[in-house]
Formats: sequence, C-alpha cells, structure tokens
Amino acid sequence: MNTHFKTFHPYVSPFDPCPPILEKAYSTPPNLYMGFQPPNLEQFTPLEALRAGTLWKAFYDPWFSPLEPGKGGLPQ
Amino acid sequence: MKQVPAEYYQLMEQLQAVDFVLVELTLYLDTHNDDLEAINQFNHYAKERKRLKKAFESQFGPLLQFGNSYSSYPWNWDDTPWPWQV
Repeated sequence: MNTHFKTFHPYVSPFDPCPPILEKAYSTPPNLYMGFQPPNLEQFTPLEALRAGTLWKAFYDPWFSPLEPGKGGLPQ
Repeated sequence: MKQVPAEYYQLMEQLQAVDFVLVELTLYLDTHNDDLEAINQFNHYAKERKRLKKAFESQFGPLLQFGNSYSSYPWNWDDTPWPWQV
C-alpha cells in the first residue's frame, strides 16, 4: 500500500517511566514502491523542484514529523 | 553600506533551480543512458545555466575561481557580499 506514513503500536511496559507513545509512525516515501524509474515521468518546474526536493512529481514526499506541522516544501 | 538588490536573489534562485534540475537529470541519466528526451533536456538546462551564470557574473562578480569565471578590473573576487553575507 502506497502511503507517506505507516504506523505501528509498540508494547507498553507497565513500568514505563514516561508517558507512553501508543502509536508510532514511520516514513514510507514513494520511491519505495517504484522499483526502476520509468522514463518520461511528469516533472515539476525548476523552481518548484528546488522546493519539492525532487524533479519528478511521482517522487514528491512532503517529509515532516507526524508530531509537528509541516514546514517548507511545496505550498499546500 | 552596500545593499544587495532584489535581482541578486532572483538570479541566484534561478541559478539554484537550474543547478538542481541538472543534478536530478545527472543522477537519472546515470541509470537511463539511452533516454534521448532527458539528454536533450539536460543539454537545454546546461545551456540555460551558462546563460544565467553570465547574467549573474556580469552584474555581481565572479561565482567561481581558478579560471572558471572572468574578473573585471580591478580584481573583484574579494568584493563583498561574500556567500555567507547574503
């Protein structure tokens, strides 16, 4: 399944000294699902690419922590 | 004190954008060396980069040293602003 984030639920010890984080997230960027890059993918303009961090739209991953609001990248 | 005009940042951003496209296309072409369209695009942006470099350097001085950029008279390599001052 192609999503930018997946989550898992770690075991929580009854002796955990800190408030437990019940759901943890990890990043699964689009390149994981691509295999070998096909030619002629749709592209960003150069100025957009500079902010997106990739030239190809299929690889764009707005990377930010799920615990914090996104900063930078392309305007939503 | 000398102020950097807005055009400096516009030209610099265009140059950075074109440089980034060239980096991406270089990495792509390393694994797709028979993609003619991408090679044409690469050459197009290589030319565009030369144009932008010339436009930038004619106004704001050399970007590179050791023969990769021309100098005007007097020697202007050490003129401010330096990269970490803009």
